[in-house]
Amino acid sequence: MNQNDLTSIPLYGLMAEFDSAEELIAAARLTTKAGYKITDAYAPFPIEDLNDALDLPASRIPIVMLCGAIIGAFLGYGMQYYATVISYPMNIGGRALPSWPGLIPVTIEFTILAAVCCGIFSLFIVTKLPRVYHPVFNHPDFRRASQDGFFLCIRAKDKRFDYVATERFLRDLDPISVMAVEK
Amino acid sequence: MNALSKTEVRAELDGKSGPQFWRSLDELADRPEFREFLEREFPAGASEWPNDQLSRRHFLGLLGATLALAGVTGCTRAPADKIVPYVKQPENVVPGQPLYYATAMPLHGRGRGILVKTEMGRPIKIEGNPAHPDSLGATDAITQAAVLSLWDPDRSLAPYLHNRISSWPAFQAELLAVLQKMDADGGASTRILAEPDLSPTLARQRQALLAKYPRLRWHEWSPAGATASAPKPDYDLGKADLIVAIGSDFLSELPGSLRYTRQFAVRRRVLNGKANPNRLYVLESTPTLTGAMADERLPAAPDRIAAVLHSLGAMTTENLNAAEKQFAEKLRADLAQFTGSKIVIVGASEPPEVQTLAATLGARFPAAPPDQLTDLARNLQSGNVKQLFILGANPVYAAPFDLKFREAVAKATFAVHLALYRDETSACCRWHLPQAHFLETWSDILASDGTPSILQPAISPLYSGRSEHELLAMMLGDFQPDGYEIVRETWRAGAPNDDFEPLWRESTHDGVVRKLSAPAAGAALVANAPTAPRLEANQTYLLFRLDPTIGDGRWSNNGWLQELPKPLTKLTWDNAALIAPAMADRLGLTNGDVVELRCNGATVEAPIWILPGQADRCVTIHLGYGRSQAGSVGNGCGFDAYQLRHSTTPWLAVGLEIKKTGRRRELATTQHHHSMEGRDIIRVASAATFRGKPNFASASLTSKASLLPETPPLGPGRYAWGMTVDLGTCTGCNACISACQAENNIPIVGKRQVLMNREMHWIRIDRYFEGSADTPRILHMPVLCMQCEKAPCEIVCPVAATVHDDEGLNAMVYNRCVGTRFCSNNCPYKVRRFNFLEYSAPAGSAFAQRQNPNVTVRRRGVMEKCTYCLQRITAARIASDLQSRAIRDGEIVTACQQACPAEAIVFGDIQDRRSRVSQRKSEPVNYSLLDELNTKPRTTYLARVTNPA
Amino acid sequence: MIDRVISPEETYDSVNERISAIVFKRQRSWGWLIGFALAFLLLSVLVGSLFWLFFRGVGIWGINIPVAWGFAIINYVWWIEIAQGGTFISAVLLLFHQQWRTSVNRFTEAVTLFALACAGLFPVLHLGRPQYAFYLMPYPNTLGLWPQFISPLVWDFFAVVTYGSVSILFWYMGLVPDLATLRDRTDRKYLRRLYSIMSFGWRNSARHWNHYETTYKVIAALAAPLVISVHSIVGLDFAYTIVPGWHSTIFPPFFVVGAIFSGFAMVLTLVIPVRAIYRLHNVITDNHLRNMAKMLLAMGMFVLFGHFSELFMAWFSGDIYDQYHATHEALGTYAPVFWITFVCNIVLIQLLWFKYVRHSPVILFLVAGAVNVGMWTERYLNVVGSLHRDYLPSSWAIYHGSFWDWSTFIGSMGLFLTLLFLFVRFLPLVSISEVRRLVYERDIE
Repeated sequence: MNQNDLTSIPLYGLMAEFDSAEELIAAARLTTKAGYKITDAYAPFPIEDLNDALDLPASRIPIVMLCGAIIGAFLGYGMQYYATVISYPMNIGGRALPSWPGLIPVTIEFTILAAVCCGIFSLFIVTKLPRVYHPVFNHPDFRRASQDGFFLCIRAKDKRFDYVATERFLRDLDPISVMAVEK
Repeated sequence: MNALSKTEVRAELDGKSGPQFWRSLDELADRPEFREFLEREFPAGASEWPNDQLSRRHFLGLLGATLALAGVTGCTRAPADKIVPYVKQPENVVPGQPLYYATAMPLHGRGRGILVKTEMGRPIKIEGNPAHPDSLGATDAITQAAVLSLWDPDRSLAPYLHNRISSWPAFQAELLAVLQKMDADGGASTRILAEPDLSPTLARQRQALLAKYPRLRWHEWSPAGATASAPKPDYDLGKADLIVAIGSDFLSELPGSLRYTRQFAVRRRVLNGKANPNRLYVLESTPTLTGAMADERLPAAPDRIAAVLHSLGAMTTENLNAAEKQFAEKLRADLAQFTGSKIVIVGASEPPEVQTLAATLGARFPAAPPDQLTDLARNLQSGNVKQLFILGANPVYAAPFDLKFREAVAKATFAVHLALYRDETSACCRWHLPQAHFLETWSDILASDGTPSILQPAISPLYSGRSEHELLAMMLGDFQPDGYEIVRETWRAGAPNDDFEPLWRESTHDGVVRKLSAPAAGAALVANAPTAPRLEANQTYLLFRLDPTIGDGRWSNNGWLQELPKPLTKLTWDNAALIAPAMADRLGLTNGDVVELRCNGATVEAPIWILPGQADRCVTIHLGYGRSQAGSVGNGCGFDAYQLRHSTTPWLAVGLEIKKTGRRRELATTQHHHSMEGRDIIRVASAATFRGKPNFASASLTSKASLLPETPPLGPGRYAWGMTVDLGTCTGCNACISACQAENNIPIVGKRQVLMNREMHWIRIDRYFEGSADTPRILHMPVLCMQCEKAPCEIVCPVAATVHDDEGLNAMVYNRCVGTRFCSNNCPYKVRRFNFLEYSAPAGSAFAQRQNPNVTVRRRGVMEKCTYCLQRITAARIASDLQSRAIRDGEIVTACQQACPAEAIVFGDIQDRRSRVSQRKSEPVNYSLLDELNTKPRTTYLARVTNPA
Repeated sequence: MIDRVISPEETYDSVNERISAIVFKRQRSWGWLIGFALAFLLLSVLVGSLFWLFFRGVGIWGINIPVAWGFAIINYVWWIEIAQGGTFISAVLLLFHQQWRTSVNRFTEAVTLFALACAGLFPVLHLGRPQYAFYLMPYPNTLGLWPQFISPLVWDFFAVVTYGSVSILFWYMGLVPDLATLRDRTDRKYLRRLYSIMSFGWRNSARHWNHYETTYKVIAALAAPLVISVHSIVGLDFAYTIVPGWHSTIFPPFFVVGAIFSGFAMVLTLVIPVRAIYRLHNVITDNHLRNMAKMLLAMGMFVLFGHFSELFMAWFSGDIYDQYHATHEALGTYAPVFWITFVCNIVLIQLLWFKYVRHSPVILFLVAGAVNVGMWTERYLNVVGSLHRDYLPSSWAIYHGSFWDWSTFIGSMGLFLTLLFLFVRFLPLVSISEVRRLVYERDIE
């Protein structure tokens, strides 16, 4: 492909395909070293090494879930306390109000449910899913990303991105192929 | 009588099945009774009623008409005559304000004073009349259930000629002709068969009739054997220190039983920590409630009873076995000791030999009931009798089989049958006439001690029923008879000249006649005494007894009584051949085995029920079952014991043969386990032990440490309701169950459901046997909701459908209940009942009119239980608030307490130290059931103190 | 050691092919059709029974007073305990880095869900007035009423709701990458569209994997205490009461262990045939079965201990009611049920001590099946055996399941199997992405 039509089409980034996880990890490491920030890798299964290769920060979702758990616990116990002591106190088998040990089980369930829901929802938020269409799907072989393909993508909006230089850089990592991915 | 809604009937036609007539009246739809029921609704259309199978379309069409007519027949009708409320009330009915009328219930020819509670003109409940000697405010189960029969849609609704619907005028037309014939021959070929009935008016009419037709013969007969003319001995048990009952169930089967129970209880009660119980010896062949109360009880076959009694006289104990010897010696010693204060009672059904022997001990007994039926049957057979008038009785079903009464009646050309139901006899008579229920009629009757009462109707006849007085009046020529005037005429005669009205008013108001007098009853009657069977050793005896719930069969269409557990067997819906465990072992029989009983040349197939405490060589069968035309409820229950009953041996037959058939019949009992398993449930001690250790019952109780705060978080309220049940005086007579059923709209579930342990009674009477199977001690314990302060049922209910109110009631919120049944699982007393299916009578049915408007009718899938008659508490609270005062002690009586003849149940405010219930609870014998569970029941028991020699 | 859970000749491609083939293969499989037909027949039995139940009421069952709980509660406990197995395998084993879980967790999670569906049915059905089941839910109403929070049934309600929702989320979360794989392996337009929607457009981005992995692990960590709490609460339904035979502190742990026990048994009974039918020996190796067999044995011994401690406490407490119950259970009315339980749950599993048995799928299958039976009869003893004879002998009575009890029970199996058949047909029954990772880890070893 030649220079001018390249500039004419809107570009998402350059995508290089590798034929094994190891090569992908190595490539990712070099890319990061080369100072590329806005990059991403695609592999058919989670690979821990990729995270530090692309130096991705540890996910913060667990903290969100912890907060969810705490709120859930207070909500759970609070609701029961309000119901049995304030809103509609009744003499149930001559038990004290509140007979707090009886309120524990529901509190536990509330805690766990709240935590899990928070986790799922924040996962949706950080991954910006669901999103059925995405530019990377324009890559002809991208289907293999969910089977046995390993891809490395440098986004066009990375400030160090320069079509020619970046393409050369990728080719030096000797991938199976390097392709431009349209928006 | 209300009609059914179409939807209900459609539901029925969709093919519902099962015996539970009670669950929905509609289940009658495909039965002949139901067609009758339709006929009754509009007799006009009945003549063209199709005899063939009616089509659904036609059926629904007719139902529409029924619906239309419902308004006419359904509305409540105030009695036309002037009747007087028991308590001072405005003459006009105040909605929501019940009216009470004093009247009396005829039972075995004697009257029992009752108060009928009517709501908006509908009689819904019967209570005892405190002023009446045979009631003293108490009732028995049968009296309680009588109100259900009033509303029974199976009752006869119209006159029938040859089993085709007819009318009173038609009958009167025929009667006129017959009377002319009678005038000609002075009534020679005419007989009247009436039930024994100590009614002055009846006596007056009888004399008038005999005067008019000198050659007419009046027969008096009832399968119960009671005869009006025979004088009944009367006792004052309160004074007796020693009571000897020989085959006599004086605590439940005599007309005066309620009074006797009251007197007996007074002596058995522990009061202010002291007990001075009388001593009761019982010598009987088959266990009775009296036997269960005995201090010394000896089950023995009739010949052994005779032997024991003989040895007492003969001052010898040879040819007695160990048990008999022991019993005889104790009894002899006590007879000598309590010469002044002893009462010996012998049962009317005991063989003459035993009765004469008992007489030597000072027993008084009625002359053997004269049998007047044989003579009548003979004359019918020989064709001497052309006209036969049967008033109330049902001889075709209940007459001794040897009289062949069915054929006999057929011989009479003009047989008239006046009865509540179109029963077996009606089917054989030319005319059937609908009888008015005793709650619909004017009459009068004497109590067992001779006290007269006036019967006044609580409602005018629902159907076209007439009283026997009115029928007799017709025979005397008055074709527009008026029961009111007939009865008044009787009493006016004996009234001091012009002050009749106030006295009449007073008598009807009080329910007992004090200042008026009536012509003495009683007339010379033909009679031939039954020949006594010879009591030989090693014979097998067959004992006939009235059924403890449905009597001689006259109550067999009464569902309450059918489902009422028999006091000792706990059987429902069935009778059985009761035999001793030892005998069962000998014959290799178990409960439910169907055997062939052969006696007097007749045979009957009956299921076996093994009853501990039954005398060996004695088989007891109860009369009243095996009916074919009792009604949709009574038909087909049990076996017909009358088929073995010979006119010469009505109560005791010898030479019984038992043959196994190999078949079995399922018997529905409400209690399967009869031992207390060594658990400390019913606590008993002898008077001696009690004096040594008054708190024997509660001594075992040790307070357990608990982490729970002791005081309930809410309350206590203005009152703290509590109850005591005195096991020392409770005879287990079932009155409380029946009363509770009537008060709280408790449904009947039918035999199949009882077999599945789904009976609905809120209060039950547990019966345990203790000791050997042959001579066990029989113990009764009424169990109702304990209203636990730490109620296990409440904490497990997920929707707070059962909670505590601030007065200590364990309340049920029916419309909140989702039916998890967890509460029942966690109730250690198992007093909760669940509507597994739709049990309650549908809104359209006649029974819905009987129901207590102040008690919710429970739907399917809802848990229910005793709430100390909450509606009565509320009524009292309203009354007291209106007068801005506290509820007085004794102002609230629960239904069970009110019915109890022994005053064993006491209810009240336990905060008030002076209340009766508080005093009862302060007795040393007070204990709570399963106290180790720390449920803190509000209902506690008073341990039983016996007085063995 | 890793090749004990994934055979050497498997590659990314072969794995993808083998598993997704089950979904995509068009040639009709008679085995599946017949199986599904039978399952559906049973399901219709359930529907019929429920129709009659709602028409007539719970009276069509054998329940009575005193035995007010019958099959409905027995089945509820039985099913919810089966559910436990799946969660345990997928969550707890994940935390313990048991690689052998990867190829079975998807399937066991499905078992969990479907068992839960059956379990969730019964608490509602057994109500006298199921139309008011929502009274157990805290919702604003004009009466200002609330559920009665100290009732174990309310705890149950919340436990089952939580358990259900968490299981579904956890299961679907694991499913997302595989749905993406399916999306990418089909060329049929609409199917592709469907799968891409179902997989939320998952694109295997390393950044997504990063969050995904963490969340997945944390949820697993939460699921472990969740199942324990759920089954403790089921145990408390009984232990909370004062019924002799129920009122015992051993119940909550006893029920948790029993749950794992029956859970593994059910998984074995299902996995062995499934792997035979779909030739998955390479991903679900004999080693998987052996490990599960060992778990089964271990849990079985815990159950045995539970029984023992029940008897011991009955004797030690000196409570006459407990003692009566303990002796009556083994010798009384329901002795046959007791001895069936004894043989199935305690005697037979002792076979698992032998290597030979653990290595023979057929015998394993039979033993596991026996345990399923045993656990049901054990719950029958728990519920009926305790209720039919409590404090007052006067109210003692016998209980038998009616025709409709049985039809409802068997019908519920229909529901379970129908769902299971649909699952194995239309969704990858082994987690493709995780097996791919296995292959990767095997290669780098």
